[in-house]
Amino acid sequence: MSATLKPYLTAVRHTLTSAMCLEHFSSQVVERYNKPEVEVRTSEELLLNPVIISRNANEKVLIESSINSIRVSIMIKQADEIEKILCKKFMRFMMMRAENFIVLRRKPVDGYHISFLITNFHTEQMYKHKLVDFVIYFMEEIDKEISEMKLAVNARARICSEEFLKRF
Amino acid sequence: MAKNTSSSAFRKIDIDQYNEDNFKEDEAESSGPTGPDEGEICALLNQGRSIEALKLVLNNAPIGSTNQQVKDNALAVTLKVLLAIKSAQIEEAVGNLSRDDIDILMKYIYRGFEYPSEGSSGHLLLWHEKAYNVGGSGCIVRVLSDRLRV
Repeated sequence: MSATLKPYLTAVRHTLTSAMCLEHFSSQVVERYNKPEVEVRTSEELLLNPVIISRNANEKVLIESSINSIRVSIMIKQADEIEKILCKKFMRFMMMRAENFIVLRRKPVDGYHISFLITNFHTEQMYKHKLVDFVIYFMEEIDKEISEMKLAVNARARICSEEFLKRF
Repeated sequence: MAKNTSSSAFRKIDIDQYNEDNFKEDEAESSGPTGPDEGEICALLNQGRSIEALKLVLNNAPIGSTNQQVKDNALAVTLKVLLAIKSAQIEEAVGNLSRDDIDILMKYIYRGFEYPSEGSSGHLLLWHEKAYNVGGSGCIVRVLSDRLRV
């Protein structure tokens, strides 16, 4: 674990804990509806200031909160082309199955690679600290996962080429 | 009498905008300090009195101003001060601040994250940790909810 990862995750954890104060809020426009205000943006008064936490230029978290929902967008570090492709495919794989992840958003916010949308229903059904833990755990694991996949791809490529070149 | 017309343009009018109890942003009066004096801050930094410089920039933060240019200038000066203070001194610097100053400091830390440069984020993360230890969740919530932005 590098030197800035731990303070980075701690800062994100504290911010998420503070931002995740969600309550039921009926839509001001449509009767008997509850829409995540951070998505529909009907009124300025329901939105809080968005904050960004960055580790460096390529790793950032954008936290937008509102009265009944909070959107967490993560920018994942991509050092080279192969990491870019792996990240894109992996995120696509997960976002196609967004229902199974419950808090995952189907599309990332512009400029970020993956977004979570947490509404008051989620905080009512699940423990808040566990939700925060999940996001932090996700951020920890995703880097590891992608570098592991990259190693696997490289190893496989090496074996393939060895097998192929044996004939010559 | 009502005119008979085939135009359906009226259906496109956003009638919600005429609602009386729509929320309007309070007209912020541009008052209060107009930002820290850069020359003075630089002088303090050069003399090594960075903690005093920090207090000065936080007290003169243009939070009431509506001019984005003024705020950006103040942000640049504040970031310079924050990055000039060494890691070992941060705890002492934060300990010397009042509650209100810590709120403003937290706002600047979050603003600083928006413009990551070489090494600045790592240093700001340290600042964030120390400021959180003193201010607690409250000061983060005030950053999120305060309309007076830095």
